[in-house]
Amino acid sequence: MSEAKFKLLVAPPAIVSSAILVLLFIVLLYYSLPALGEYGLGLLASPTWKPVEGALGEYGLLIPLAGTLVSAIIAVLLAMPLALASVVFTEEILPRGMPRWREAFVAMIDVMTGLPTIVYGLWGAAVLAPLLGDTLYRWLYEGLSFIPLFSCQPVTGNTILTAGILLAIMITPFIYVVVRESYRQIPRTYREAALSLGTTRYEYARIMMGMARPAILAGALIGFGRAAGETVAVALVVGNTFNMPSCLLAPSYTVSSLIANQFANAQLYPLMLNVLVSGGLILLLIGIASNILGIMYLRRVRYVA
Amino acid sequence: MEPVEVKVSDLNVWIGGSHILKGVSMKAPPGAVTAVMGPSGSGKSTLIRVINRLIDLIPGARVEGKVLLGSLDALRADPYEVRRRTGMVFQEPNPFPHMTIYDNVAIGPRIHGLARGEELDRLVEWALRMAHLWDEVKDRLGDYPHQLSGGQKQRLSLARALALKPRVLLLDEPTANIDPVSTVKIERSIMEYAKTAMATVIIVTHTPQQAARISDHILFIYQGRVVEYGPTREVVLHPRHELTRKFLGGEV
Repeated sequence: MSEAKFKLLVAPPAIVSSAILVLLFIVLLYYSLPALGEYGLGLLASPTWKPVEGALGEYGLLIPLAGTLVSAIIAVLLAMPLALASVVFTEEILPRGMPRWREAFVAMIDVMTGLPTIVYGLWGAAVLAPLLGDTLYRWLYEGLSFIPLFSCQPVTGNTILTAGILLAIMITPFIYVVVRESYRQIPRTYREAALSLGTTRYEYARIMMGMARPAILAGALIGFGRAAGETVAVALVVGNTFNMPSCLLAPSYTVSSLIANQFANAQLYPLMLNVLVSGGLILLLIGIASNILGIMYLRRVRYVA
Repeated sequence: MEPVEVKVSDLNVWIGGSHILKGVSMKAPPGAVTAVMGPSGSGKSTLIRVINRLIDLIPGARVEGKVLLGSLDALRADPYEVRRRTGMVFQEPNPFPHMTIYDNVAIGPRIHGLARGEELDRLVEWALRMAHLWDEVKDRLGDYPHQLSGGQKQRLSLARALALKPRVLLLDEPTANIDPVSTVKIERSIMEYAKTAMATVIIVTHTPQQAARISDHILFIYQGRVVEYGPTREVVLHPRHELTRKFLGGEV
């Protein structure tokens, strides 16, 4: 095949895939404009959600936006220590003595990144939410209700905190993979230098993690982006209630679960579809921003002697 | 702190299937610099990695023989204990890139709880002066190592090792990729540290000139075996072995 033909063969798919992102953005923006025109900034700032069938309702996305941010932040905060501990475990502890176990462990975590998210959702709704509702949430309310975050009596296990915990479980493998790949690239000479100082494994791992710091930040951002965009698993456990997530033991909403729940009947309510699309636009922007920032941090991981 | 003699007896090392060190015996006395020289691939680096147990990191490495650091049996002891008494400088300058110049030197004393506050400041200054780097960095201790030249980075790596005041200082071709000015400074540091701290310094080098310049004793290794060992003057001026003569003349 000639050079020119080969270029012609591989160029269009690449152009199409990048064009899709641009088109996606344009279409979402186009359908958002009527809602933005009608409600202005109130669309983001108002907590009211009052649909009126056949007439213009009142729509504000503040609660689902807050729910998305709160659940994603909880997810990242819980997932980081899990992911970092797993990296140290598979890279430092298992290779000495139990290399086979390490292979199995790594393979399992890698598989977890590719599981259909509905599987997590089903498990979350059937097992995790009831379990947390009967145990952890009761304890938190009984013991720590003086803290505003735990001040509301939990009714069921379907809460914003459950969404955060389930998301943490879902994004841990992603953060793990990002950090592990950078961790493995740390040149041997730095490992030897750290050990030659007489460090214990803990101190050694702390120095290595310090070197992988850009990757840790990147992993956190990419994990945040995934958590903010996750839909079906969250919709099954978050409670889907217009309720500010100021107390973590109450049900709430996220942007993506709102879209999933309301989309089917949105045609019955004027402008609701446009409001939902603007929610989607915001998710797209959050996703793009967290990924770009994450990639920028990853590029900073260079260990030049 | 007590001077420590390094004594290696009948050391054999296999990595994978290959026999890297074949019955190596040597001594390195305190207060002196012992140079380990030989062509590349002769097992020099492996020898010093046995002394501080970094050999443990190499998968499939098998070690037999005896290594004594004073009274400490280095091959039986806890490797952390061994490395605590030994410092090491590597061929590539490798200060930790995410730590400032100050923190790179302070990390060892901090980990081992040796000094804090002003005492730590003094220790860092002492180590940087010992490594002949202080004058160049004293006004920018908060900078990161990537702002330093290669030679300065290597002197920073040396200062990091010195800050723990190791009884045994191991150097693995520390000036192989370094500019001549830094090379001279590092060589001076090494000799001064051996004399003033009564430390045992072992430096691996592939250039006989460097061995002649700075060492008190020379160990010449070829293909995993000790060919010649003795006071530097004797080895350089009156080599007993034909191979040593050839190596000194640049023929091996």
